[in-house]
Amino acid sequence: MSTATSASTPPGTDEGTAPVFAVDGLWKVFGPKADRVPADPELAALSPAELRSRTGCTAAVADVSFDVRKGEVFVVMGLSGSGKSTLVRCLTRLIEPTAGSIAIDGEDVRAMDKSRLRELRRHRAAMVFQHFGLLPHRTVLDNVAYGLEVQGVGRAERRERAAAIVAKVGLEGLEQRRPGQLSGGQRQRVGLARALAVDPEVLLFDEPFSALDPLIRRDMQEEVVRLHREEGRTMVFITHDLQEALKLGDRIALMRDGRVVQLGTPEEIVGSPADDYVREFVRDVPREQVLTVRTAMRPASSADEAGTGPAIRPGATVSEAIEAVARAGSPARVMSDGRCLGVVDAESLLSVVAGTAAAATAADGADAAAGSRAAGAAPVPPRAAPAERREPPTPPPATSEEPA
Amino acid sequence: MATLTASTQKTAPPGFLTHPAVRKLLALAIAAAILVPLAVTQWGGATWPSALTVDVSEPLGRASDWIIDNRDSHPLFLYFFGHVSNVVVLAVRAVYLALLAVGWAGVTAIGALVAWRVAGVRLALGTAVAFLACGLLGMWVPTMQTLALMVVAVLASVVVGALLGLAAGLSDRMDRVLRPVLDTMQVLPAFAYLLPVVLVFGIGVPAAVLATVVYAAPPMARLTSLGLRGADKEVLEAVESLGTTARQRLLTARVPLARKELLLGVNQTIMMALSMAVIASVIGAGGLGDRVYQALASVDVGAALAAGIPIVLLAVVLDRVTGAAGEQHDGEPGRSPLTWLYALGAAAAVAVAGRLAGFLDWPDGWEVNIAEPVNRAVDWMTAHLYSGVPVVGGTADWAAHFTSWVLNPLRDGLQWLPWWSVLLAVAALAWLIGTWRTALTAVLAMAAIGVLGVWTPSLDTLSQVLAAVAVTLVIGFATGIAAARSDRFERLLRPVLDVFQTMPQFVYLIPVVALFGVGRAPAVAAAVVYALPAVVRITTQGLRQVDPAALESARSLGATSGQQLRQVQLPLARPALLLAVNQGVVLVLAVVIIGGLVGGGALGYQVVFGLAQGDLASGLVAGAAIVCLGLMLDRVTQPTARRTRKGA
Repeated sequence: MSTATSASTPPGTDEGTAPVFAVDGLWKVFGPKADRVPADPELAALSPAELRSRTGCTAAVADVSFDVRKGEVFVVMGLSGSGKSTLVRCLTRLIEPTAGSIAIDGEDVRAMDKSRLRELRRHRAAMVFQHFGLLPHRTVLDNVAYGLEVQGVGRAERRERAAAIVAKVGLEGLEQRRPGQLSGGQRQRVGLARALAVDPEVLLFDEPFSALDPLIRRDMQEEVVRLHREEGRTMVFITHDLQEALKLGDRIALMRDGRVVQLGTPEEIVGSPADDYVREFVRDVPREQVLTVRTAMRPASSADEAGTGPAIRPGATVSEAIEAVARAGSPARVMSDGRCLGVVDAESLLSVVAGTAAAATAADGADAAAGSRAAGAAPVPPRAAPAERREPPTPPPATSEEPA
Repeated sequence: MATLTASTQKTAPPGFLTHPAVRKLLALAIAAAILVPLAVTQWGGATWPSALTVDVSEPLGRASDWIIDNRDSHPLFLYFFGHVSNVVVLAVRAVYLALLAVGWAGVTAIGALVAWRVAGVRLALGTAVAFLACGLLGMWVPTMQTLALMVVAVLASVVVGALLGLAAGLSDRMDRVLRPVLDTMQVLPAFAYLLPVVLVFGIGVPAAVLATVVYAAPPMARLTSLGLRGADKEVLEAVESLGTTARQRLLTARVPLARKELLLGVNQTIMMALSMAVIASVIGAGGLGDRVYQALASVDVGAALAAGIPIVLLAVVLDRVTGAAGEQHDGEPGRSPLTWLYALGAAAAVAVAGRLAGFLDWPDGWEVNIAEPVNRAVDWMTAHLYSGVPVVGGTADWAAHFTSWVLNPLRDGLQWLPWWSVLLAVAALAWLIGTWRTALTAVLAMAAIGVLGVWTPSLDTLSQVLAAVAVTLVIGFATGIAAARSDRFERLLRPVLDVFQTMPQFVYLIPVVALFGVGRAPAVAAAVVYALPAVVRITTQGLRQVDPAALESARSLGATSGQQLRQVQLPLARPALLLAVNQGVVLVLAVVIIGGLVGGGALGYQVVFGLAQGDLASGLVAGAAIVCLGLMLDRVTQPTARRTRKGA
């Protein structure tokens, strides 16, 4: 296991390695004779309502394909009933998929026998659950050590390892409590610690924070960001909260009715929604906090403009640029390696906030959204270090407004 | 019933026809219009036509004779039942001797210490007082006999029940097979179990223990299965996601998560076992139940009470202590095994000290004979309260009036009704309340009674059940509504209900005999008293669990409290009220049958008579009729959802 990717080596830079999870054409159909639905192209193309009336089946996951790369936070987001929780359970076959293929580090998950699958669940992928799934009759420490106990680790060793993890998630002093005596946020820390204790290659999160209060949710999100920064562990994160998805995700797969409607970076999702559904979804997102200055950038009109004014990095968000421009009272330069890529001025920044630059990246985002299969194989830029990972492919400058 | 009257008032054709109740009745009416004339021309008359009966007593008699003849020679008995019987006898004997060897001081000390560790100081004191009271009443030896039988029966029931429950909890197929069987076993009166066991084992301790096991194992099995199935799905999923094997899941998650249900199952099994161990005195259980049985047979209320009080004390102590074990929170730190060790050591010390001091048998000088004063009091009551009390009359007068004004007309009316109309009424009621399935089962069960040739006595039993249920529901609903509306009243009522719900059925016969003598009216009175607590409790809970938001909105619209009750609480609590009716019927039937011991006649008497005369065949027929009657009554009153047992 190479989970101990240290914080210093930026994850994802080794492009040659296989994806952690490679999902291709995955289906999960509930209902009578579920097998025939993915096999029959005509049935496979039906809408959920039609499928239900024709066959009595529900396709919770329909022809989903994506790769999860080493070290990234891959967010699957969608409203309730969109199939995202089913999808994450299919990854370790907690729910048996109907069709398609899943590979972890190139190994076929669907072909695994029982003991191999147990091995996968014990060592390679650990899951954090929405309602925590803690054992009420065990102490915090024994809950955290449970995964190790299942593996057959001796009592003293597992307690020692569990104690270290308990400290890591900030639960020192609560080791001997029972889950019933903890608050919701503390319980989820136990759930997180339990998953971390087995030192898995991938962490799977199934809406882990939706049962928590907003303030505690924010704490926990920051906890996850911190853990990711420190350990660089690969994470698959399921959520129905767009803010959470944008905050945590390196890439986001947006699901609707079991299908992936768009897969891309937060900036691609917000900047160039693939269809009206996604557009409606991201309408209220404060765009200036997600989109980077590249969206608002124009070429420098003169050498003078390229030589003066505050410098900002290309990964900076529009809101950061607004602050810089407002302070300086002049356009700001977007600098990369000492070279001026372009400038942003108050007007161009304002048009991003107002959404009039929306069509700018539409053409670029189109291929990412063309379909889940295509999206999975779509070329993705090399990843930067987590600190400035929000680097999208450079969008062409915006000129025209998209027809309504 | 409410739907019946409501539906007949609607007369506008379209709306009237779409009402489901009316449609059901219409379908039934059409079926009746075709079948009834046919039936009447073929087999007229009020009672079940003799052409349609099958005489089963003769083959049953032959089977019983064969069993008696071959009990000592046939391999089935030699190598299976014989061993079972021997093991049971040995086990009961061993426990009994052990209890006597520990001595009264030792038993009391052990009981108190266990209660202290499990449930705290107060219950420990209560346990000690209860044991000492048993000794004081001169009932030490019978108490130990009953206790020995209970220990063996409860252990066997828990093991059998847990295994069945495990199977049903882990396998859906087993669950589908077992669930209807267990459900049905729970609604059958205890008396129905006695005869088949006696048929195989003869009268004696093995039969008593096995009847108890058969009666007491179902709640354990049901609750085990329920606990295993009711575990938090996400916890199980989380456990699975960590790569557990099926065995790890069972041992580290499913069983610990079902702890509460398992302990509740043990509690219910103990209570059912006590109830049955007492009733099984009819088939040779000995102990306290036997004392009550003998005393009731000679209408010696004092002696019956002396044996009845220990039963009640035993019931209350066992229920509270095992109940407290189940209520311990998961959050509490586990009790260390060391304190248990100390407790055991202390108990052993007391036992040894008692032995050395010669405190083995309860000293005769410490016994208090309450039989005589009680009998004097009963005699006084007989002389002064039975009849001729100015204005109010006397208890015997009430009983006589109840018999001649209510029970007799009801019985005669039922027996006067043509047999097909009884079936039709059963079908209509069952279908209105439940589904066509329950209606079919009910009609078939009722028809089976006719086929068995016990139509007339069954209707006699049915009339007692109906009268008792009516009284129970009127009193129970009124009390329940009052308790739901007044917190203070509920607080007063709760401990009373708690005690009443833990007492075995048998005990209720003692006070009613003291008050009303023997006959059908006392049996009905005992049934009412036995069924009341459950009905009151379910009614109160149902009313109190009505959605507070609905109630609040009614209040905000200015509804009076009467309007709130009629228009919001009662309609919303309808499922609970139906459940109360169902429970009331099942519980009433159980005691009405036992009422055969105090002159209730009908089916219960036939069972007792069959046992007493060794005429197992006719007793078995009556037992089968009881089963059918129980099935019919349960299905008729069965709302679509199932219920839990008494005390739920």
